[in-house]
Amino acid sequence: MSDLIDAPVIFAEGVRKSYGTNHVLLGLDCEVGSGITGLLGANGAGKSTLIGLILGLRPRHGGVLSVLGVDPHQSGPELRLRLGYAPEHHNLPGDVQAADLVQHVAQLHGLPKRIATERASNALWQVGLGEERFRPIGTMSTGQRQRVKMAQALAHDPDLLLLDEPTDGLDPVQRDAMLALIGQVGSEFGIDILLSSHLLEEIERVCDSVVILANGVVGYSGALDDLDSPEAGMRVEVDGDSQLLADVLEARGAEVSIQHNSLTVSSSATANDLIRDTVAELGMGLRRLEPHRTTLEDVFIEVSK
Amino acid sequence: MSEARIHARGYLAYEGPRHSPSRAMCNLAYHTVQRVLGLKRSNWQKVLPALTLIIAFMPAIVFVGLAVLLPGSEELELGESGEYYVIIVGALYLFAAFVAPEAVCTDRRSGMLGLYMASPLNRNTYLVSKFAAIVGVLAFMTIGPPLLMLIAYTLEGVGPDGVVDWLAELGRLLSAGLLMAVFWGSLSIAVSCLFERRTRASVVIFLIPLVSTAVGDGLSEATEFSDSYQLINLFSLSVETVYRIYGQVNPVEGAIVRIDTWLVFAVTSGLIVASCWFACWRYQQIEIER
Repeated sequence: MSDLIDAPVIFAEGVRKSYGTNHVLLGLDCEVGSGITGLLGANGAGKSTLIGLILGLRPRHGGVLSVLGVDPHQSGPELRLRLGYAPEHHNLPGDVQAADLVQHVAQLHGLPKRIATERASNALWQVGLGEERFRPIGTMSTGQRQRVKMAQALAHDPDLLLLDEPTDGLDPVQRDAMLALIGQVGSEFGIDILLSSHLLEEIERVCDSVVILANGVVGYSGALDDLDSPEAGMRVEVDGDSQLLADVLEARGAEVSIQHNSLTVSSSATANDLIRDTVAELGMGLRRLEPHRTTLEDVFIEVSK
Repeated sequence: MSEARIHARGYLAYEGPRHSPSRAMCNLAYHTVQRVLGLKRSNWQKVLPALTLIIAFMPAIVFVGLAVLLPGSEELELGESGEYYVIIVGALYLFAAFVAPEAVCTDRRSGMLGLYMASPLNRNTYLVSKFAAIVGVLAFMTIGPPLLMLIAYTLEGVGPDGVVDWLAELGRLLSAGLLMAVFWGSLSIAVSCLFERRTRASVVIFLIPLVSTAVGDGLSEATEFSDSYQLINLFSLSVETVYRIYGQVNPVEGAIVRIDTWLVFAVTSGLIVASCWFACWRYQQIEIER
């Protein structure tokens, strides 16, 4: 039983996928746990292909993929009963009322009609469209359509929610509201979320962990909190020759990297003292000495190189 | 009266039973029938479906009405059972061209196909559901009116003799109706899967039978293999198939009546299989918008 609880929501090992001669995924390895996970990657990195594989819509050409404990390609229909999906595009049938669409999708996911009707209404209230639920989708704004997409993905109570660019086309106010809603779904509703986006700031705001795809493989995978861990080292900026300081610190046993006159010194019990003393000996002015915080942007740029 | 108010609707997990994935096919078929008939849509969307249903049903309803109001009247000259299908084929043609494309074209254009593919459906079960919905409505048009006619024949006392003959007639009626519905339904879905825009699909479906008639008739007159070329004419072929099921001779003079029955059925079946195969193949190629 504990194995089931501890099992990753998504587990991929050596997953490969090609379209003809175009190799999109080249042996993807990752584990996505509970909570809200961001899926980042530049255009063409393989995000949509990975989502397609998670949904079981396409066969992979190698490797192991498990979603909620089952192989999506072999158990696609059964798995998709437990998945909610909000697509990137804003096209939805314009002449259909929001409540009808959400109810229809909930029924497709196995809910009895009466329950589907009830939950469709509730889901639309949850996303803030309670008063608008009988409006045709064609008369709704982009922000409202995004909410309809969220409602149809939520109504059947999925175990895993796949959100593809959920803030695309939203103004800043709408974007804040959508991100707050996603955070609420992940934390209060207890639904695991895989959020595909190319906006780093959004991922940092709402996600617990991140998977960054680059060139068909996972460039980085881990919790966002890990980026701020003490192991990341100290950041030093001085008035003076940064290269000289780096050389002296290295000669005294520290691991140093230098970028744009800014030094990153690897953590150790004596790192702070070593830096302070060395800067003083060299007669330099110490402008900055602080724990180095690796931002998501740093990681993204690094893995995208 | 209680003063209680609901201030927040908390999210509730659903722990109840869920239908199996196969039930999703029934839901989609039912939803598609509603859409193509214009239910829960604007009145304008109901016009064409209603028109085709009226064309299919009106003669039968008028006849049944007269049979009830004027029992035993000599005015009620009843033709052969197969003759009614000449009327029905016009309604089927209009439905296949102008109503049925709504079933698949709109899903691709509106992005619903992506949502369906994220549900327990897959490309094949999606197509089967759509096909079942179209054929279901077409079968209502092909089986309903002749069934009313059969009832009218029976009421007039000129229907089949005995229960066995009546059931045999019912069997022929169901077979002919279903075959016609499948024939026009498969043609419509095969062409519709090529287009995202419904109007384009409608134009092509509208033209195909007309072109087939012109080509079939033209080749029949121009060549010595006239009989076989009549099988190209989709109107004649579908009606002739019905006459063969009823074991009757098509009163319309034409070369098609001289063609062997097995060949008529083989071509009809071949067209149905080819159309269905093409639709399935086409849907495997479609890149789904996500």
